[in-house]
Amino acid sequence: MRNTTVSTDQPQAIHQPLLKIENLTKRFPGVLANDNVSIDVRHGEIHCLLGENGAGKSTLSETLYGTYLPDSGKISFRGAPVEISSPKDAIEVGIGMVHQHFVLVPPLSVIENVILGTQTSGLHMHTETTRNRLAELCDNYDVELNLDAKVWHLSVGEQQWVEILKALYEGVDLLILDEPTAVLTPQASERLFSVLKRMKDDGLSIIFITHKLKEVMAVSDRVSVLRKGKLIATVNTTDVSKQELANMMVGRDVMFTIQKEHTDVGKTVVEARALRAKNERGEEALIDVSFGICQNEILGLAGVSGNGQKELFNVLVGVLEPTAGTLTLNGDDITFAQPGARMDAGLGSIPEDRIHEGLVMDFRVEENVVLGIHRREPYARGKRLIDQDAIRRFAIESIEKFEIATPSASQVSKTLSGGNLQKLILARELSLSPAFLVANQPTRGLDVGATEYVRRRLLDQKKRGAAILLISEDLDEILNLADRIAVIFKGEIMEVIDAKESTMEKLGLLMAGVQDGQAR
Amino acid sequence: MVEFFQTAIIISVLAGMIRIATPLLFAALGELVTERSGVLNLGLEGMLQMGALVGFLVSFQSGNLWVGVLAAGLAGIILGLFMAWMVSTLKLDQVVSGLALNLLSGGITFYWFRVKFSSAGTQMPNIQIFKFGRIPVLSELPYVGEILFSQHWLTYFVFLGAPLVWYFLYKTRIGLQLRSTGENPRAVDMKGLSVTNHQYGALAFGGFMAGLGGSFLTVASAGMFLPEIQAGRGWIAIALVIFGNWVPWRIVVGAIFFGFIEALQLALQAHNVNLPHQLLLALPYILTIIALTAAAGRSREPLHLGFPYKRE
Amino acid sequence: MKLLGYRLEKRVEVSPLWQFLSALLALAIAFAVSAVLIAFAGANVGEAFLAMARGSVGSTSAFAETIVQATPLILTGLAVTVAFRGRLWNIGAEGQFFAGAMAVFWASAILPNLPALAMGMWVFSAAILAGSIWGAIPAFLKARFGSNEVIVTVMMNFIIHFILSYLLSGPWQDPASSFLQTAKFPATANFSRLITGTRIHLGLGIALVTAVVVWFLLWKTTLGYEIRAYGINALASKFKGIPPMRTIILTLAISGAIAGLAGASEVTGLHGRLRLDISTGYGFTGIIVALLGRLHPVGVILAAIVMGALVNGSLAMQITSGVPIAMAFVIRGVVLVALLTVEVLAQYRIRRHIDG
Repeated sequence: MRNTTVSTDQPQAIHQPLLKIENLTKRFPGVLANDNVSIDVRHGEIHCLLGENGAGKSTLSETLYGTYLPDSGKISFRGAPVEISSPKDAIEVGIGMVHQHFVLVPPLSVIENVILGTQTSGLHMHTETTRNRLAELCDNYDVELNLDAKVWHLSVGEQQWVEILKALYEGVDLLILDEPTAVLTPQASERLFSVLKRMKDDGLSIIFITHKLKEVMAVSDRVSVLRKGKLIATVNTTDVSKQELANMMVGRDVMFTIQKEHTDVGKTVVEARALRAKNERGEEALIDVSFGICQNEILGLAGVSGNGQKELFNVLVGVLEPTAGTLTLNGDDITFAQPGARMDAGLGSIPEDRIHEGLVMDFRVEENVVLGIHRREPYARGKRLIDQDAIRRFAIESIEKFEIATPSASQVSKTLSGGNLQKLILARELSLSPAFLVANQPTRGLDVGATEYVRRRLLDQKKRGAAILLISEDLDEILNLADRIAVIFKGEIMEVIDAKESTMEKLGLLMAGVQDGQAR
Repeated sequence: MVEFFQTAIIISVLAGMIRIATPLLFAALGELVTERSGVLNLGLEGMLQMGALVGFLVSFQSGNLWVGVLAAGLAGIILGLFMAWMVSTLKLDQVVSGLALNLLSGGITFYWFRVKFSSAGTQMPNIQIFKFGRIPVLSELPYVGEILFSQHWLTYFVFLGAPLVWYFLYKTRIGLQLRSTGENPRAVDMKGLSVTNHQYGALAFGGFMAGLGGSFLTVASAGMFLPEIQAGRGWIAIALVIFGNWVPWRIVVGAIFFGFIEALQLALQAHNVNLPHQLLLALPYILTIIALTAAAGRSREPLHLGFPYKRE
Repeated sequence: MKLLGYRLEKRVEVSPLWQFLSALLALAIAFAVSAVLIAFAGANVGEAFLAMARGSVGSTSAFAETIVQATPLILTGLAVTVAFRGRLWNIGAEGQFFAGAMAVFWASAILPNLPALAMGMWVFSAAILAGSIWGAIPAFLKARFGSNEVIVTVMMNFIIHFILSYLLSGPWQDPASSFLQTAKFPATANFSRLITGTRIHLGLGIALVTAVVVWFLLWKTTLGYEIRAYGINALASKFKGIPPMRTIILTLAISGAIAGLAGASEVTGLHGRLRLDISTGYGFTGIIVALLGRLHPVGVILAAIVMGALVNGSLAMQITSGVPIAMAFVIRGVVLVALLTVEVLAQYRIRRHIDG
């Protein structure tokens, strides 16, 4: 186990960077993820890697951590060149990583998750020593955590802390955090920043990956901007403005907010009353959820991931049966209706995981564009026979209308980028002009261009008269697009407020379960 | 029919129950460890079969039953490693790989059998099977002595093995690593451990146990080899793991129950009870189907079971 | 993976050409392995292979017999193909085969005096129904209880074997014989020979028609679309309204029906009565045929002929070189394993490493 303090036996070493990446290039089939990138990270600094989705930030850090092998380039740590060909090497060198999607073992306890793999010999695990060390670390950073709790019972914020503990326990000198605030409330993010600053003071170097400019300004000493795989510049945070960073990130002048048009709302389209549901493990995931959405309205559902959003989406789409409550769409009771019947009744849905929940990746584009509507005229004759020509025509239309970048309609969907896959889903769902559209994290993982496109389409739909439920972990997105905002916490709707009266702070508190000054 | 319920018969049924449960339990415990590492080994049937053949052949050639048993275990290890190569290294579909292993094993054993023993109507040789390992003093106890302490050494081995497997999985370092591999292999990979190595080890163990269990069928039971002597026990063992919710003691109970059913069926046949013997023979298979529908919950199923791990 | 300036890059889509080539490569490997085993059996490898070739395709009569062997395999291969396309592991084609054969006997026994065409349709409808029921049961259990269909279908194989064994030694046994078999079917129930002088029977025609039907089902109907979608991504299919229970049950019912058809075709085309030994593992070989044929009807027909040639040829090989027919079982197992491993290769292509 290593000390978290920096060794001071070589005074010159402090002025040499801790980590030096030179001319790193990494290619994947069809895409140049990192193009000749050179970055250095100093001792005791928080260095942000800024870029939009797809810029190459995660690839760079995964290469540092040994998950990927670079095609060319050199990495030096503490002045000496190192060969990192697996996470094992990275850990040995002193690099730790908190991934965007946690790598925890859910049925195991916190201690077991931390201790896993840290011992290389011996029949039994040294849980007692680990327990003491972990208690010390938690104490040091003012974090409260039940070390014996099974990870699947922990909140997302607590799980993230377990990921950080894993790295601290190993005694890393460089900690990489990949988009850590994606799953936190604004207040929790603040707390994370102060913890990171204290770690920095204790001698740790931190690489902080993000696409949010606010965070760069809040926490970093220096920032390196990546765009389409290339390093644009590395600057001192104090020397640069948000607008300049944004321009570097996207390569053109960026408008920060979409102008929301005010539209008069129509009649109520969707009514959910007192919905209750259980999650996969049989625990209560939705408790008395009620809301109503009118025509020409976007209701935003804000909340930290894991508070029931997934279950709500599944209940609305018809894949999870509620244990109580009702759901009506334009007067029809669809509480227990099958997904197909709901689509007939006017429901459209954009799932959060486009690859696993929304598309059949081995299918061609034209086959995916009719998934779910394949039995309808004109795509099928008499519900039983496929009309290939009609489907092909619809596919070509959709490709044009939604600007989907694909050589042809018979291209296998696997080859499309994330943004284009999302557009494919949009083409499919919007073709029915749904009365009620549920969008779950619709811009997650998309680059700025695709994100803007999706948001514009949602606003178009609202104008057309749809009632839209926008479930998103991105507060900026909700504030930008929604007319009213509901906050979900531990399966309950905390409050529904008008967008005009919402602030980051207010929403953040609600997302953390604090209402009227009382914590739930 | 009333004569059937005599004490002597009941005792022999119960003793038979433990004996017949043995190969099932070998296979099921091995499969438990394999599945805990995330691999669904549907080739278990073929491994049992190979163990039966190798155990018989090597015992016959060497004149030593224990050498045969160990050889069977070794054959099982080889098949297990082969399976691991397919599913862990090549990352092939686990179901199809298991089926392939079964077909391969079936073909090889059938061919070997034909080459050695069916030319010009040679008589199938018998081997002298294991005698029971009667434990001194304990085997003299009334009732219990016959049932529990007059079994084969392989039987004692596997029943003692159950708590050992439990201990290994839940109390040791490698057991923790193994379970993690089956729940979230990416977590294991990101810790710098090798998912592949763990799966190879688990499959080698599973194969070893299946090999031993298969040898029991010939070396401790029939005294000779017939193709398909394992008669679906590999599949039943997999069902036992599911039915036992991936927990060792429940699997033991399940194996004993199936042993009971088969022992009962044998006794009913032997005493000419008026039931069509094919129905009795079909009973274990029908029960397996029922077990799979009545599975009391799969809450402990390894989260990543059945999926190859690819570091994206 | 980097090696000498080249590296392996995963393909996104595997072209049909590569799929075909990889199947050939698998066959080549299988034959190489069997050469070793033949030598182990003490026979002359060249002689054995020559005998095998002559015995399977060396003359019209040999080839005709190969076709006879291939006929049930086309059908079981198609049955497995439909199921596997839905990612439903039907290992019960063997049992469904028997169900179909049993239905033929039962149907012809209760209505023995129907005229030829009516009899044919009657027994075959019964066979299709019986096979589909034997396939629908595991499907229902999977859809309703999540029961692993691999294990259930395997168990069903055992169960039907015992049922048949019971029936053939009791209620269904031919009163005029002490063998485990039924009396002969009425002549109207039997298939006529398609080509005189050979044993090729109407079953071949039915098999080929079924192949066309399966192709049409999978790629021209909405049900086929749903089966394929469900097979690749059950979750997304569920989200988009493809009903899991209906899809699972229909898929395995159809699969079972085709396998039942295979059984009916065998007993009416070749045996003329119901016996225990009407199948040499056609249900299991069907799995290999389906995978070798890449789950496509055209491939299945080709693969069935290859497997038929293998079985037929091994008979000749046994006579000439003394190598037991059982060698065919080894080869078929090796073919499958070789196919799986070669398939991995087909997924990659060699790329020149640009900066060395």
